[in-house]
Amino acid sequence: MSDVSVARSGPSGATAPEGAERAAAVALHGVTKRFPGAGKAAEPVTAVDAIDLEIADGEFFSLLGPSGCGKTTTLRMIAGFEYPTAGSIRIFGEEVGLEPPNKRPVNTVFQSYALFPHMTVADNIAFGLQMQGVDRAETTRRVAEVIDLVQLQGREARRPKQLSGGQQQRVALARALVNHPKVLLLDEPLGALDLKLRQTMQVELKQLQERVGITFVYVTHDQEEALTMSDRIAVMDGGRLLQVGTPQAIYDRPRTRFVADFIGDTNLLTGTVVDASTARLGDGSPIRIETDRAEGSTVTVAIRPEQLGLRDPDHPRDPALDAVHGRVERLTFLGNATLYDVVADNDPTLRIRVRQGNAPGIEHFTAGDAVRVRWMPSSASALDD
Amino acid sequence: MSVLEMPGAGGPDVAEDSLARPRRAVDRVLAGNAWLVFAFLYLPIVVLIVYSFNDNQRVGIWTEASLRWYGEMFGNARVMDALRNSILVAIVSTAVATVLGTAAGLSMERYRYRGQRAFDGLLYLPVIIPDITMAVMLLLFFVQTFDLIFLATGIQFSRGLGTIMLAHVSFNISFVALVVRARLAGLDGALEEAAADLYANRWQAFRRVTLPLIAPGVAGGALLALTLSLDDVVIAEFVSGAGSTTLPVYVFGALRRGVTPLINAVSVLMLVGSILLVLMSLAVSRGRESSGG
Repeated sequence: MSDVSVARSGPSGATAPEGAERAAAVALHGVTKRFPGAGKAAEPVTAVDAIDLEIADGEFFSLLGPSGCGKTTTLRMIAGFEYPTAGSIRIFGEEVGLEPPNKRPVNTVFQSYALFPHMTVADNIAFGLQMQGVDRAETTRRVAEVIDLVQLQGREARRPKQLSGGQQQRVALARALVNHPKVLLLDEPLGALDLKLRQTMQVELKQLQERVGITFVYVTHDQEEALTMSDRIAVMDGGRLLQVGTPQAIYDRPRTRFVADFIGDTNLLTGTVVDASTARLGDGSPIRIETDRAEGSTVTVAIRPEQLGLRDPDHPRDPALDAVHGRVERLTFLGNATLYDVVADNDPTLRIRVRQGNAPGIEHFTAGDAVRVRWMPSSASALDD
Repeated sequence: MSVLEMPGAGGPDVAEDSLARPRRAVDRVLAGNAWLVFAFLYLPIVVLIVYSFNDNQRVGIWTEASLRWYGEMFGNARVMDALRNSILVAIVSTAVATVLGTAAGLSMERYRYRGQRAFDGLLYLPVIIPDITMAVMLLLFFVQTFDLIFLATGIQFSRGLGTIMLAHVSFNISFVALVVRARLAGLDGALEEAAADLYANRWQAFRRVTLPLIAPGVAGGALLALTLSLDDVVIAEFVSGAGSTTLPVYVFGALRRGVTPLINAVSVLMLVGSILLVLMSLAVSRGRESSGG
């Protein structure tokens, strides 16, 4: 296949690693999708806005975001169900942006599973191989192999309707995997399952992915699912990529208010920049924070509740830690931990939530107690917005 | 037994639930009405069938049971010609209308294009246009078109079975499209995407996934088209030519010369045909349930 760039993409190959370097499993460059507006004079709606993304071979990659953020549209463009308005989509270096779905080396697990109701489990799974003209013996062998892989032995002759939701999910997986796709696309595949089954399937999916070594692109709105399963996550909102990174990087170093807020629980504190490594919170407490913002401008600082600790203010201060003095307003006992809502002494608008583990030897406080909230400067991140 | 019931108050005909007692009169009226409607619908059919086995020359006078008129019917060349014409027109127009109607239903449910909404409204017009309007329209159309063709090429077409078929195709498309579209609307669009994702081209996806799943709708539409075609008298009467009489048109013409027991026998034949079609459509819909579509 020749290297055809879709109209209005950037200079082809400028960012795609090719030649000596191994090509990315999926590379999106400037991918944009606009849908016509609903009304007559309505503006077109931009579902995906100039996305650049590279997904490495063998990666478990999640597209995470709220509904309407463009994650499903992005996946559908990789699958070929939607064509990009602009930009280039490459799969292992080959431009596929305008190819129909049946010409792309990817397979999809649909949110609704989309199993063919008029075919048996075995026929569903064999469908892709038959369409590719794989001979009968090879088809039978590979179908049996993949049925073993997803543990559906003995259910080959059933119709999809006769299976439970979890089993249907496995058929959908098997039907895609039997084709040995270069990339497997999964559109919220666990969304229809109940919580317990979903957690089991998360583990199974991850193990399966490691076993088959295929690149998974996984769309989800469930941050926990993305954190537990992914090698890397791309957080999306409003058709844009907000941040791409490992689960830990995304969790520990959120770059924007949206990412910090969407993933996990977090404290967003407003400060005034003093210099490149110092800011002052609303109550006057100086904190150490790396920022490139101008002196005197405001900066939002994110700190996870579990990275904060509470101390009796009479204790001598540890100079290695930053701190805010306040009073416990409310506490919530969680069993393994306690949540403290602390209001700063000199600024009633400065509220901090602290999650303190209930290990032996940890100090306990009650509502109204004066406390010092303290943290390692490295656990605070300055946000871009 | 209800707790409201007084001891010794109820005879053997008292309903189990005493609350139902004041409504018994209403129930009787409703049940009576059901029988009335039933009789209203089926008595004429019974009379028709019974008198089709009557030996007498005159319709209303019963002499004795015989198969005389059935024998005459099968021996009557004009009836048999008309029957053959009807079946031929029905089969050809149904086949063409089913293919075109299914395609129309698909195009409206699965694709978006310019002018679709107008097409949507216009396609269903034949369903609501009165037969007589449709008949006049088509007659005018055929006359004008054949004149134009004659002027342009010198070839003279005339009305006959071909024009009846075309006319039947034109209204049957709408009915087939309607039924197929209803079936398609209930189909998960992701199924066709899944087929494409699994390397099926457009045709393979249609052949292996879409068509089997909408087959009950297509079959239902086809049976409806067949019935409508066999049933039509007004349009066929207008657009037919010499020697292209269909069975309903023959019956209609014969009636004007007076009702004969032969007409009864022909009508029973048509009735049996219709019932067979209904049974087939029931079998099709039952097949759909068991196939889990």
